[in-house]
Amino acid sequence: MENFTNDTIDTKQLPKFEEVVFTSLHPKYLRVVIINLVIFCASLILFFVFFSYYNDEIFSGRIWLIIGIMLSMFCLFVTFVSIAGFYKKGYAFREHDVLYKFGLISNNTVVIPYNRIQHVALHESLVSRIFDLAKIQIFTAGGSSSDIEIPGIEKEQAEKIKQLLMGKIQKQL
Amino acid sequence: MDQQFNLPQRQSPIGVLVMFFDTLQLWARGLWPVLLIYIVKFKDLNSVYLFLGVAAFLLIVALIAYLKYLTFTFYLDSDNDEFIINEGVLNKKRTIIQLNRIQQVDINQSLIQRIIGVYELNVDTAGSAKKEGRIKAVSHALAVALKTRLLVNEISKDQLPSHEEALVNSVEDDKPLVKISFLSLLKVGITTNYVKTFGLVLAFLITIFDNVKKIIPEYDLSDEDLESYIDQGLALKSIGFVFFVLIALILMINLIRVIFKYFDYQVTKHNDSLVLSFGLLSTKSTIVKPEKVQIVTISRNYFQKKMDTLEIKIKQATSGDRQNNKSIIEIPGCDENEKAAIFKFLFRNIPEKGIQLKPNYRKLVFSLFLFIVIPALLFFALANYVDSSLLDYVFVVPIYVVFIGLIVFFGYLNNRLYISDDFVIKQSGAWDIDNSIIDTAKIQGVTTSQLFWHKNADIGSIIIHTAGGDLAFQLGNFTTIKHHVNEWLYKIETSDSNWM
Repeated sequence: MENFTNDTIDTKQLPKFEEVVFTSLHPKYLRVVIINLVIFCASLILFFVFFSYYNDEIFSGRIWLIIGIMLSMFCLFVTFVSIAGFYKKGYAFREHDVLYKFGLISNNTVVIPYNRIQHVALHESLVSRIFDLAKIQIFTAGGSSSDIEIPGIEKEQAEKIKQLLMGKIQKQL
Repeated sequence: MDQQFNLPQRQSPIGVLVMFFDTLQLWARGLWPVLLIYIVKFKDLNSVYLFLGVAAFLLIVALIAYLKYLTFTFYLDSDNDEFIINEGVLNKKRTIIQLNRIQQVDINQSLIQRIIGVYELNVDTAGSAKKEGRIKAVSHALAVALKTRLLVNEISKDQLPSHEEALVNSVEDDKPLVKISFLSLLKVGITTNYVKTFGLVLAFLITIFDNVKKIIPEYDLSDEDLESYIDQGLALKSIGFVFFVLIALILMINLIRVIFKYFDYQVTKHNDSLVLSFGLLSTKSTIVKPEKVQIVTISRNYFQKKMDTLEIKIKQATSGDRQNNKSIIEIPGCDENEKAAIFKFLFRNIPEKGIQLKPNYRKLVFSLFLFIVIPALLFFALANYVDSSLLDYVFVVPIYVVFIGLIVFFGYLNNRLYISDDFVIKQSGAWDIDNSIIDTAKIQGVTTSQLFWHKNADIGSIIIHTAGGDLAFQLGNFTTIKHHVNEWLYKIETSDSNWM
């Protein structure tokens, strides 16, 4: 009984999620992003090159020129968005919740309390395995819109984070 | 009675009939192209063969139905707390449902089942999209007893009521909490779903028009003839008359639909949950548990406000991302008192509106731009560069602008977010005004977002994720939003509140 206190909480003094310092993704992950970009753009361009090689008559030369310009602009745009997007991503693990921010034009922050996490998964894609990186996927009951995926974490650390989250979930139960 | 479920048992013998009709329906659906050929070539067929064919077909269906009936068994494994269903004639299927995973047990009755006098029992878990366990033909007493057994395990194991008591409780003659009268249904019928029904009527008319066009050529009437005939017909009647007929048609269809769907709607309190039962031809009954309720939406329009009637939609926890409409439970035509009673049961107290957040004027500007300026520009661009005959329809533009403008404007006026200690209420809609209520303890996660050029204006958006769907509010005061997010997080993280 002596330990029981029930002080009024000043809601202004609550920890603020917007002031959290985010950890940015591992620098090596940028290489993964770039490799994926190269693969994507190369396959797109190769497709059109082969197409034009075998089916040249389909469009006139002028349209082919326009397609070429559009294609390279599209690739440049995608490259810019992905690379700039990389610097905008960040994550933070607080005592009671996990935060993930992303977004180039709009700054989005997702907050998931640990006691709402359903399960955690570790995902390694082919390219990121080369650099020993992994992606942590955190699932809630709120469906795909509230699930978060944090890419670009060193595999060892990702494993640790997963253990930490698992521990938090278990404790809640 | 307890023992009854521990041994594998079959459905009611009369259930063979249900199986028969089910299989028949299934086969008819699979074989309809063949049937179509039969019907078209009806004249050329030897009627004896036809008769034999139909007889053989029915016999096979009957045999399969009987085998299905024989192989379908279900029982409760009380050692492992599992409910087990065995089925399948050639491919055996065994469905095992853990009792504590059961979300919902419905007792339904389709037309055929109603004629035969049996009931269908559906067991739903959070696991997958469709109903996991489905028993198609059991007697009412058995259905109720089984339902009680399945749910008792879930509610509480330590204070398991004796079986007689549970049965008495589950008999549906408790005093209903809400009983929607025929009059209320009439009110609902004439005040809701204009747009939806209009779409249905339109689709119906188009289909008929299409079919008539297809059939008529055989009778030596060309396409143009028909169209000109219809044009003439339309021109003869004044537009007002067509309008009148359309409205009358919509109201009538609405009324019939509502009455068929919701006839004799009753909400009863049973143990810790609400039991809803309704339907004219096929009676449905569903259970709503307050702890599984995620979002409650009250929806009403101007007419309904005048008539003191409103509709309540309840979204329960669903699995996966599907925005499955079937998991939404609707209670049409409640009045204020009934609403209060239902809310008291679902939320313990009646949600207050608390502080109010308005969207920034930019939301209005953006919506106007998106829904009026862009389409109008597109129209004129197309008319200018592609097809100048489009300009004949230029009179549509002002009508569109006024109509959509009104919708956007009222939608903006009504768009509000109310935040109180325990609840978040989002108000939205232009004509049908929805109030979606979330208990803050049910929040799964929060996403805030802000466009980088809105930083100085201090406006931003929020999406609240729950297990029953998301609730989004755009362009409100971002400082206030963030403050409340912190508060909700604090509340969620310091309590072990049960969200499901």
